[in-house]
Amino acid sequence: MALIGQDIAPPDLVAKITGRAKYAEDFRAEGMVFCKMLLSPMPHARVRRIDASKALRMEGVIDILTADDVPASEAPREPILSNEPLYEGAPILAVAAVDETTAAAAIEAIDVDLEPLPFVLDPLESLRPGGPDAHEQGNYASRGEWQSVKWTEQDFADAGNHMPRGEALMEWEKGDVEAAFAQADHIVEETIVHQSITHHPMEPRSTMAYWQNGKVYCHTSTQSVARTRVSLAGTLDMDPEDVVLVSEFCGGGFGSKIAGTTHMAVPALFSRKIGRPVMLRVTRYEENYIGRARPGFQCWVKMGVRTDGKVTAIDLFLVQDSGPHGASDWNTAGMIADLTYTPESMRFRAMPIYTNTPPKAAQRGPGGAQIISMLEPILDKAARAAGVDRLEMRLLNAPDADVTFGPNETTLTSVHAKEALRQGAALFGWAEKSALSGTRVGSKASGVGIGLSPYTAGSRGFDGLVLIKPDGKLYVHQGIGNLGTHSIADTARAAADVLGLEWDDVEVVWGNTAQQLPWSSVQAGSQTTHAHTRANHAAGLDAKRKCQEVAARALGGAADDYDVGGGRVFRRGRRGSGLTLAQVAERAIEYGGRFDGHELPESIHTVTTVAAGNLAGQGLLGVAKDEFGGEGAIYSWVVGFARVEVDLETGDVEVMDYTAVTDCGTVLHPRSLGAQVFGGSIQGMGMAMTQRWVFDPKWGVSFAKRFYTARPPGILDVPLDLKWGAVGIADPQSPVGAKGIGEPPVGAGAAAITTAVADALGGNCLCRTPLTPDVILADIEGRRGFGRLEQHVG
Amino acid sequence: MGTIRDMIAPFDFFQPATVDDALALLSEHGDDAWVLAGGLDSFDWFKDRIKRPKVVVDLGVIESLSAISESGDGLEIGAMASLTSIVNHARIRADYPLLTTAAEHVATPQIRNQGTLGGNVSQDTRCWYYRSGWPCYRAGGNTCYAAAPQAMNREHCILGASRCVAVSPSDTAPALFALDATMVVRHGRRERVIDAEDFFIGPSTDITRMTILEAGDLLTSIRIPAQWAGARVYYEKVRDRGSWDFALESVAAAFRMDGDMVADARVVVNGVAPYPVRLEAVERSIIGSRASEDLAIGAGEVAIQGVRSLRHNDYKVPMMRNLVKRAVRSVVA
Amino acid sequence: MDFLRSADNPWGQDIWIGISWDLVWLAVIASLAFVVLHAIAVRLRGPARIETTPPPADVPETSRVERHSLVARAFHWTMSIAMFALLITAFVPVLGLEFDWVQLHWMAGLLLLATIIWHVIHTLGWQDLWSMWVGPTDVRDGAIELKHALIPGDDDEPKHRTGKYPADHKLYHHAAATAALAATATGLFMMVRIDTPFWTRNPYLFGDGAWGMVYVLHGLAGVGLIGLVAAHVYFAVRPEKRWLTWGMVRGWITRERYRVHFDPTQWPVDELGDPSGDRGGALAEASPRSPQDDA
Repeated sequence: MALIGQDIAPPDLVAKITGRAKYAEDFRAEGMVFCKMLLSPMPHARVRRIDASKALRMEGVIDILTADDVPASEAPREPILSNEPLYEGAPILAVAAVDETTAAAAIEAIDVDLEPLPFVLDPLESLRPGGPDAHEQGNYASRGEWQSVKWTEQDFADAGNHMPRGEALMEWEKGDVEAAFAQADHIVEETIVHQSITHHPMEPRSTMAYWQNGKVYCHTSTQSVARTRVSLAGTLDMDPEDVVLVSEFCGGGFGSKIAGTTHMAVPALFSRKIGRPVMLRVTRYEENYIGRARPGFQCWVKMGVRTDGKVTAIDLFLVQDSGPHGASDWNTAGMIADLTYTPESMRFRAMPIYTNTPPKAAQRGPGGAQIISMLEPILDKAARAAGVDRLEMRLLNAPDADVTFGPNETTLTSVHAKEALRQGAALFGWAEKSALSGTRVGSKASGVGIGLSPYTAGSRGFDGLVLIKPDGKLYVHQGIGNLGTHSIADTARAAADVLGLEWDDVEVVWGNTAQQLPWSSVQAGSQTTHAHTRANHAAGLDAKRKCQEVAARALGGAADDYDVGGGRVFRRGRRGSGLTLAQVAERAIEYGGRFDGHELPESIHTVTTVAAGNLAGQGLLGVAKDEFGGEGAIYSWVVGFARVEVDLETGDVEVMDYTAVTDCGTVLHPRSLGAQVFGGSIQGMGMAMTQRWVFDPKWGVSFAKRFYTARPPGILDVPLDLKWGAVGIADPQSPVGAKGIGEPPVGAGAAAITTAVADALGGNCLCRTPLTPDVILADIEGRRGFGRLEQHVG
Repeated sequence: MGTIRDMIAPFDFFQPATVDDALALLSEHGDDAWVLAGGLDSFDWFKDRIKRPKVVVDLGVIESLSAISESGDGLEIGAMASLTSIVNHARIRADYPLLTTAAEHVATPQIRNQGTLGGNVSQDTRCWYYRSGWPCYRAGGNTCYAAAPQAMNREHCILGASRCVAVSPSDTAPALFALDATMVVRHGRRERVIDAEDFFIGPSTDITRMTILEAGDLLTSIRIPAQWAGARVYYEKVRDRGSWDFALESVAAAFRMDGDMVADARVVVNGVAPYPVRLEAVERSIIGSRASEDLAIGAGEVAIQGVRSLRHNDYKVPMMRNLVKRAVRSVVA
Repeated sequence: MDFLRSADNPWGQDIWIGISWDLVWLAVIASLAFVVLHAIAVRLRGPARIETTPPPADVPETSRVERHSLVARAFHWTMSIAMFALLITAFVPVLGLEFDWVQLHWMAGLLLLATIIWHVIHTLGWQDLWSMWVGPTDVRDGAIELKHALIPGDDDEPKHRTGKYPADHKLYHHAAATAALAATATGLFMMVRIDTPFWTRNPYLFGDGAWGMVYVLHGLAGVGLIGLVAAHVYFAVRPEKRWLTWGMVRGWITRERYRVHFDPTQWPVDELGDPSGDRGGALAEASPRSPQDDA
């Protein structure tokens, strides 16, 4: 039976649940010292003077690493250490000492004279005439060209109660939006605020590094392995072959550790400077600052619909809090709005503006999660205006296979959003539950909501590398990372299935570049399921072909006379004949050449060539690039259905039911898929309901930097009987048919809540997140709440 | 000048075996000593290196302090009794379900296992300006950053502000107020028994502490009199995140009913002032009256007389009104 | 001992937040020490000799000379109530007795401000501004007084009679006025930091540096006033000065006091009349007793 589609526990499970798994900060090396970083107390400042003399005189203090000791980086690129910190918490320097206590005391003894510089937390403030810029060079940069973008007083005055809209930095349009609005039967116009939020992985970005014989050994917390090695090599200006990167376990990343982290270079550089292994254990407090955040949006949107519910026009103007170093969420947001509602015409404008807040990065469904969470209640408003059922509204506007979207008329490999909507509606019981919409029991009003959320879910062209050793086992080498998604194990099944192997005969090799890992996609953007089932399928096919050829050479006949399965290579129709894979491996070593990796294909990436070359002679080597090809973007979909109860006397929201159904192609691992769908959905619910980012506007200093103040959601915040399902229709362009799933559930979970809360409130879209009791109650009671466009409050 | 957080600075650590030993240590070390109960407030301060006691006296091994025993016709709960042990205590659940419910609403199961009743009532405020180590009034400075015009103060107070606008974070304190509990405090050989209401002090009296406890004082137990055993009670806590949060506001109330008449009542709210607030005007407005929706609505209106909201906490006014209304509504037949 | 309290502001910059509370204790102790030492010194050294003048034949020695108008006295006592309220509400909590002091303190401060304004207007309109002017005669008289105070047994030169306010009174007035004005002015700024029905508080009106100065000045003025008020009360109750205190209570002194202590060229007065006259005889009859023990 094929392994794909089965529930199989991943190989790292026992180590994780017993606590034996070693994460970056658990490693030790002989002579290792600890370093601590000094973080900027100001949101924007210039270092005038550093006096570390007292610290350096302390017993046990070894040395100091400053911005002058690290490779320079040109703004807006993020520096490793900086003499012009651009956010509160930006690392200025590091100190190494024999133990962490001493290093901490040394940091406290260092006197840094800082000159405060103007700062800005809210991009709209930066756009005001005379408003502050986050960088001294300006508030926007593209390819080294800086601008200080300002709108006019008139732009702000004209906005009235809506978001001001001046000239846009980014713009695309399809069709004639103004004409479409003129012909629309109903028009909805709203202003939206989606807050920025920190990633909060359980494991902070700790790193330990040391040097031996010109090579750097780095234990770090990263989502991807092969790609992190390359990125660290780039930072250190080294050959990737001289970097040994170890990251067998990663306690979450959500996009904040895609190809490693900026600050993994600190121990590496410090270790090079002082000649001793250096450990940087990042604390929760530091993680809050350097750990990345999802960029917040302030938007103005206008949506026009026909009486039948068809969306004819969308005009979306988005201002993005880009942090000090930028983010590209804005771009995806526009694409996803177009894809999800397939408007006949659309105009998209965006202003990604730098701010002096902690750096932004992709966070699970970047751009998509925010915009879906905010636009779905607006679609509902349009549905109410048109008198169309909200499920019907989505069935009418969701894309079909022939969809094109975005400025470049992007197409899709496959789309089954409507199937997901129908299946989800049935599983959730939309017909019965939507009847509860707006009903009240005592002070509690029921609301039901739907969130339909697409996101990219794959990529092409990476390498697979497998080895059948004389022990008869298949070793699948994985250059992707292990951040809890199971893709290191689950994508290996694609190779095993080609060879007809049982899971017990498969060993996954991952997490340590010294073990020879192939060129891989980043473990991000929900790519690995798609990209590496393909790559491993390709490597499996290569191994299979070589098995057949080895058998033919050993036993006679043509390669095609042989088949592979059950741990053997056998003559077709005679399963007991032929060679065991162990014997095949021995023969492959004997035959050498391409069979055992001494000859390698041209098509593979140099990283894979080196890895495969190092494995040569150990068994039968399957190595191949994914050349299955394909056209169009790969997107997965999740639709979330929620029922909530909003207490109209307290503003409290309770999630009563949640159901999510996904279109992510072939299901690789049902239990793991369910975990991804729920995990992402709950993350989205937290985004909509509780999680926050708060700064004091006077000092530009953040407050929501603890789990209890930032309030990411927990399992006790959701009902226990969450339901999920999958459409399960294979993507026709992939030999395996599987697409990724990490990203889209976030937008689905978030939007199911924002729409359900608006529904409970009689269709009143508060159009901001998080929907905490204060925001809801202030609205119900007509009390003073937050300003219409206020960012970073709560 | 560099700031380090999340690393506890060194201190001398004592684990006395008896209350007398603990008191002797506290008296010996005076202002240098810090009393450690469950540690959920303390470790936060220690980790952030904002409070740096020289000496920490851990009460964790003094068994007598976690006992829950009969006292006269009421109960005496050791200050170190864990919140979980209170939640699971059959007699408390039977006679004083208000306390059971209040304890159940504290934070998370793990925190309730570790947290103690004494710690829950003695904990410091969670005002994030104060807890960020800013030199505010409560920290001995001359500014309330939380009451500045543009400050982030949705969690701050609408009553009882006096320069400082922080609120009491305790979930159990309002229940103890409603049950007319008393706090047993020892200082050396001297033992004082203090009404729960007098245990908490506001910033107008001393802006740097939340309770009357001073150096050398030790809260040893909390006594619940029989008077309110078996009363009709109501508890509700509104919080941002159901699984783990401090209260935005909470209400605890106890009622004695005579048919459908409110014979006696105690109504307490928290999260609105620097201390839990007993609403005597509300009590007066309902005692002797027939419980009805109108009475509940009136009680809510009485509750919010004299409140003053800050920039971002205006919602707390209707929330307080509604919570009090709901408490009274709970005894409407 | 620290003189100032400082702290790190939210940006880690060192800022002043006020004077050290040790200074309060210092002021209290210094005031007590001054009182005790002065009392001992006076006892050891004996009274100062005053230049003599013969009593005039035509005016009875018991007749009254107006020293302080009703308005002036009302000002003085209102101000002193405000001042005591301010000192008590400011420093008693610091010294350990806790109570809700803030509102009382700023209300007393506003009362003090009102009295100051009243005093200024009254002085400009109805009083002799020059009576508080420190002139050459004050320097001369002050020097004699100081010499007498510092050199035990020095009695060569008798004290001169003075104008309405002797040099030490004038200096005291100016010191107290300076301290009170500093405290009031800084206090007014500090009012911006509390909520009133008229405005919402704003701790950011000034930067940390300026606020630090405001707090330090307010504290220094307050601590200074502890000493000044203590000295004032002490002299007011000293036996040889009590007649002046009574003067501030009743508004007048006797002709005899006037003749002995004051120089009519510097402080010319009108007679209030005979105590047996129709202007409050009972008061006047009782009055000559109290200053009799003038040493």
